[in-house]
Amino acid sequence: MTVLRSDLAFFAGLAILAGFGLSVGSLFGTYWVIVALNFAMWIALTQSWALFSGLTGYISLGNVVFYGLGAYTVAVSFKVLPLWVAVPMGGLVAAVFALMIAVPALRVRGPYFVILTFGISELVKYSILNLETYLGKSSRLLFGAPSAEAVLYTMIALAVASSVLMRLVKSSTFGRGLVAIQGDETSAETVGIPVTRFKVMGFTLSAFIPGMVGGLMALRSTYFEVLQVFNPFISFTIVTMAIIGGSNDARGPILGAAFLVFLSELLWSSAPRLYMILLGAFLIAFVLLAPSGLVGLLRKYGEGHSK
Amino acid sequence: MDLLLSPQLLFSALVLGSLYALIGVGLNFVYGTIRLLNIAHGDLVMIGAYAAFGLFTALGLSPMFGLPLIAGITAMIGAGLYFGLFKRQLENTTSVEQLEANSLLLFFGVSVILQNTMALLFTTSPRAYQHLDYVISIGGLDMTLSRLLALVVSLTIVFAISMFLKFSIYGLGISAIIQNRDAAKIVGIDVGRVQLGSFILGFGVAGIAGALVSLTEQISPFMGFPFTIAAFVVIILGGLGNISGGIIAGILLGFIEIYSVALTSATYRSILIYGVFVAAIMLRPQGLFGKAQT
Repeated sequence: MTVLRSDLAFFAGLAILAGFGLSVGSLFGTYWVIVALNFAMWIALTQSWALFSGLTGYISLGNVVFYGLGAYTVAVSFKVLPLWVAVPMGGLVAAVFALMIAVPALRVRGPYFVILTFGISELVKYSILNLETYLGKSSRLLFGAPSAEAVLYTMIALAVASSVLMRLVKSSTFGRGLVAIQGDETSAETVGIPVTRFKVMGFTLSAFIPGMVGGLMALRSTYFEVLQVFNPFISFTIVTMAIIGGSNDARGPILGAAFLVFLSELLWSSAPRLYMILLGAFLIAFVLLAPSGLVGLLRKYGEGHSK
Repeated sequence: MDLLLSPQLLFSALVLGSLYALIGVGLNFVYGTIRLLNIAHGDLVMIGAYAAFGLFTALGLSPMFGLPLIAGITAMIGAGLYFGLFKRQLENTTSVEQLEANSLLLFFGVSVILQNTMALLFTTSPRAYQHLDYVISIGGLDMTLSRLLALVVSLTIVFAISMFLKFSIYGLGISAIIQNRDAAKIVGIDVGRVQLGSFILGFGVAGIAGALVSLTEQISPFMGFPFTIAAFVVIILGGLGNISGGIIAGILLGFIEIYSVALTSATYRSILIYGVFVAAIMLRPQGLFGKAQT
């Protein structure tokens, strides 16, 4: 019964947040549309990261590759495919790419996996950069892209979808299998969890939404520039948000994204270096002092009160 | 063919390769021996480069004489990080995987802080200084004294370190810890002290490498990352904790980089470096000279 009640509270909270995001433009004006869009984007990206990396402990430092591939798909097919096809196609391309690299990449564990995912995303970045130079396109302009509001509504849908997905997966057999993989792969295998299949499925699933997010952001910025959409800083921010929020609970990425979006609103335009320094300091502080993130602190606080 | 046989190219590849080897040795102390995933390693190289630049422009001190001081600065940063962030982690974390994951995140935080603090203090514009740039010609080969010195000094230090590890009691202690940490403790090795030593040596060597790099190219606050990647390629190909393997891998990487750029074009450089990197992890995670599943 308590599980049900907490589920209810989570979905209600999510609905309120989404409803607020949808109405932010008419309530506060255009500037807040951009803030809400950013917030929704980071929720969708971090939630998708947590779905695989948070549950399995395979830390991916290259999730920007999914985002970038989605953006590239939309940019290349712009004015060729209708957008309602192109954006999901971006997600599909990212997921297929994840599926392709999953089997060789997931054979390596721990730190090798971390730096491998980073290396793969950089490799793809420079490969596409050279391809674009070869094609004679240093950047692509996307004229006539939909309005910021339209992008925001779709992005909120993705943020909600990724949060619901994370919540559902976590309490499913599949999700418990992923958590077991984090504990000990050999014993997970012994008790009948199809370890390789689950890892490949989880990795592929975690690529789909970031691909669509990338496609949407390409429309939002109205131009496509390889170094920008494959910027490793995006991967790093995702990991930092997940660690600060807490990555094994669907509430974590929302809290982490909220925290850093707030901080960057405060500092990014006036003191970008200071923002980065604080980002590093918060990351260190959370790893050392609160390894389960804001969600962990919240949980501890809740327990203290119910006693 | 002429291009391939050019002594100039050979020399450039050797200089770059020896610097990579030296940077790899530094990372080997921290990652190879105590399994802390130091992705800030290249940023310590950057700090060393700035220290050399600062000593030269402010005091007129040649980086060659400033090397001990520069190594001291980065070694102190290493000791500070050990006591401030990692000592408790190393003592309290029982699972190696947890330790590696945490160290990655901590060093990532350190890396971001170092890069942006330096950018804040010294702006992001690249800097360079002219020092020891007399051209020496031997046969058909023209080389600047500074690059020759970078080559000689880095090879000497790498060689000295490998001798030190093979024959000193400290080096034997490190080997013992790599083989079996608990057993090393039982036979009376002060694991904490060896770990502190690894931090100091690894970071000090990174500082020296940075000073040498500053002799050969421009420096900037964000120069470190490619060196971190190169260092990981070197220690993965050379084998974790394997110093002589790392020397060969470093030189190999230098050759791959210089010759491929000469043969194709500079735009393929990054593809190649990351390609080697990805291939190394996927195909030979145990290193070129290692046995599978050691």
